Amino acid sequence: MAELATVTTGALPPVNAHDLAALSERQGDSEPLARLRRAALDSYLGQANPDRVRHLWRYTDPARLLPDPAALATELRGESPPPLTLVPDIPTHGVSALIQPGGVETLRLSREAREAGVVLEALGDVPAVVRILGSVVPADHGPFEALNLAAWSAGALLRIPRGVQLDRPIHLSVPAGSAVSVPRLLVLVEAGARATVIEEHMGGEAGHRVNGVSELIVEPGARLDHVLLQRWSAGVAGHLTQRARVERDGHVHTLVTSFGGATLKADLGSFLVGEGAHSEILGLAVGEGRQHLDHHTVHEHRARHTSSNLDVRVAVTGRANSAYTGLIRIEEQAAHCEAYQQNRNLLLSRRARAESIPELEILNHDVSCSHGATVAPMDEEPLFYLQSRGMSRDEAMRLAVRGFLDPVLQQVPGGLREDVTRALEDRIARMGGGPR
Amino acid sequence: MTADNVIQGLNEDYESRYGFHDPEDYLVKAPKGLGHRIVEEISRYKGEPDWMRRFRHEALDTFLAKPMPRWGNQELLGEVDFADIHYYVKPTDRQSRDWEDVPDKIKETFDRLGVPEAERKFLAGVSAQYESEVVYHSIKEDLEKQGVVFLDMDSGLREYEDLVREHFATVIPPTDNKFASLNSAVWSGGSFIYVPPHTRVDIPLQAYFRINAENMGQFERTLIIADEGSSVHYIEGCTAPVYATDSLHSAVVELIAKKGARIRYTTIQNWSTNVFNLVTKRAVAHEDAVVEWVDGNLGSKFTMKYPCVYLVGERAHGEVLSIAFAGDDQHQDAGAKMIHAAPNTTSRIIAKSISKGRGRSSYRGLIKVHKGARGCKTNVECDALLIDETSRSDTYPTMEIAEQDVRIEHEARVSKLADEQLFYLQSRGIDPDQARLMIVNGFIEPFVRELPMEYAVELNRLIELEMEGSVG
Repeated sequence: MAELATVTTGALPPVNAHDLAALSERQGDSEPLARLRRAALDSYLGQANPDRVRHLWRYTDPARLLPDPAALATELRGESPPPLTLVPDIPTHGVSALIQPGGVETLRLSREAREAGVVLEALGDVPAVVRILGSVVPADHGPFEALNLAAWSAGALLRIPRGVQLDRPIHLSVPAGSAVSVPRLLVLVEAGARATVIEEHMGGEAGHRVNGVSELIVEPGARLDHVLLQRWSAGVAGHLTQRARVERDGHVHTLVTSFGGATLKADLGSFLVGEGAHSEILGLAVGEGRQHLDHHTVHEHRARHTSSNLDVRVAVTGRANSAYTGLIRIEEQAAHCEAYQQNRNLLLSRRARAESIPELEILNHDVSCSHGATVAPMDEEPLFYLQSRGMSRDEAMRLAVRGFLDPVLQQVPGGLREDVTRALEDRIARMGGGPR
Repeated sequence: MTADNVIQGLNEDYESRYGFHDPEDYLVKAPKGLGHRIVEEISRYKGEPDWMRRFRHEALDTFLAKPMPRWGNQELLGEVDFADIHYYVKPTDRQSRDWEDVPDKIKETFDRLGVPEAERKFLAGVSAQYESEVVYHSIKEDLEKQGVVFLDMDSGLREYEDLVREHFATVIPPTDNKFASLNSAVWSGGSFIYVPPHTRVDIPLQAYFRINAENMGQFERTLIIADEGSSVHYIEGCTAPVYATDSLHSAVVELIAKKGARIRYTTIQNWSTNVFNLVTKRAVAHEDAVVEWVDGNLGSKFTMKYPCVYLVGERAHGEVLSIAFAGDDQHQDAGAKMIHAAPNTTSRIIAKSISKGRGRSSYRGLIKVHKGARGCKTNVECDALLIDETSRSDTYPTMEIAEQDVRIEHEARVSKLADEQLFYLQSRGIDPDQARLMIVNGFIEPFVRELPMEYAVELNRLIELEMEGSVG
């Protein structure tokens, strides 16, 4: 333990107020929004490097995710070359919009959404946004989140008006288009509304860094399905934070699928603040080569009669690493809660690694909580069986990986399952067997 | 009757039942505080060999240089005041093998703790630590004939210096953590056990510890070596009188199980609720060896204790079976560590905890599988019972797996005293108080089953005591 105290973590890149002001002006920020950025910058400058003694940063060196100071300054000053417009290659219902520096390029918002008054706009274009921006993921969440709140350049607001029930998903594509990308998404699902949002992180080139934040507000009786689909190109490194505030009888279902990039740290979770609120987090992660995948989840039960469920499955091969740390916290006043958490890891090669820390903090006695975690190799028996039926070892392995992840897939809501399955199968098909 | 007032503080009547203490009358009592001078005096007073003296001084330097742990309950750790502790107290300068020779005043204390009963029950040896030195020590003749060494650590060092020097601090070096370095600098007392090859000690060896001087740290040091193919069961139990200011207990326990050996180490810890109990316990299990920690934590204000087994030989097996009971304002931060450093090693952890009142119990564990340790299996089960609305339970397991061909399972459950169970029992005519006792007893039964009878009785009595005050 002691040696960790002296581990250097890579310094947080400096940001000067002048560069930030340039960004603010270029974005056409209203004065309240500019003020919010400055306050976040103050918070950022006052924060220490991530503490590697704590579990949250124990397995991932922040230096792998922090943007290069020069590249960050270039980005803030708007001196980086304009990103290529990327057309996402995944087969889905169709991309609704691209979120990139300068705002939101709406490609195809469905007619039902347009007619229902769904708002999808650049964050800076909606002045009232300052009242809720940073309310779920504030600057004091951590240095990455503070930096994002100060320096986001690709921001979108998605608002689903009261009572609107959308059948088709809204698909937002977030390309890792430049050396440093700082996207921020704010989703407001008003009372009784229902929507599915696919947030797809994609593209980029080796060495690109992403620092993304998604704030979700789920009002009473609303339901949000949030899919965080991470399909970066090889070599991209990114930190993604997602938090949902779920009010009375609200439901949020998060599905995180982590397939691409070199290094990912995803920090996901829900604050269940109203009675009857419910949160689910499902996770599918596949890593190979030297990929490093770090998932952290938080289910914080702050109100009575709230419930949560979590199932994160990770398959790693080659020399890939996975770290999962998850916390269920039941606050003192939150009686009659139920919370379940499951993390399963499949090791497909000798050099693959997985760490798992599922944590519980229970401050109220009237609860039902449990968690489970497993780390195990592929069962040789089914592989042998499949090979005896004429499959190659690699094919058999892919089928077995698919089988391992299937229980999570089965929990994905109907309309989405097809898209997710396709993305997953695409990922597995590209998976090399790797040395045994 | 509500659930809240049914179960009262375990240690509520501690003062009258166990909290007696003798007027202090010590031959040697070091002044408060820590420095090289104190360490030098302890070593000189004990007439130790030069290597041990140097070992202590180096450990003190390490202690002074090391920061406090940055994990765990920072608030409580912050309350430890190293300057406000007596680091050495010697109650009597005599070693007693015969009960009749033990000074009356000390005997009286032991009488009230039931040590003579233990003797009557044909337990192998009684090594009761009163303050920092072992004052009473007996070993059954047949054990001596078998060549089994069961001494206090100070005598062990004098009589078996080579054996001690070879193994001392090899499992827990002074640099391991701040409290281990503190213990290494000022240790006194504890047990030294050596079991020769292929020798089976059939009866449990036991020691009974007490802390008795206000603000006196107790830094016992235990080393157990089970040579090839041997087996031994060691039991320690602790109670302490209540004092107004905080006391520090920081033991180091090292177990070495050589090829094919078997060690079981049973602890029932019931320090009074002002004691900080910060203990390092670790075992090394060689090829085909088995080490079992059976660990019950009932008392203390704050306990940090994670019995560990390094599985360094093929097919070694480690086991931890523990219960923690956290009453009002107690924090039991206990757990287990299993380090799989050799192929085909197996381990199992069962950790149960009960939190009541404003008590908090935390399970903190580590399962680590080193590269190359193929074919390992481990299973961890944590079970927490919450009794009052203000009780708290945490689970902080860590699994670090660097090998593919392994099976790791972890499961944890947190639940409250179930209304249905209570209702069922009451519908059968059992009064609510009795019903709660039955449920709690059922919950800890897997642990109690593993204890020798006297200890099982004592533990059941403690649990009953806790329920007693709840009537009405």
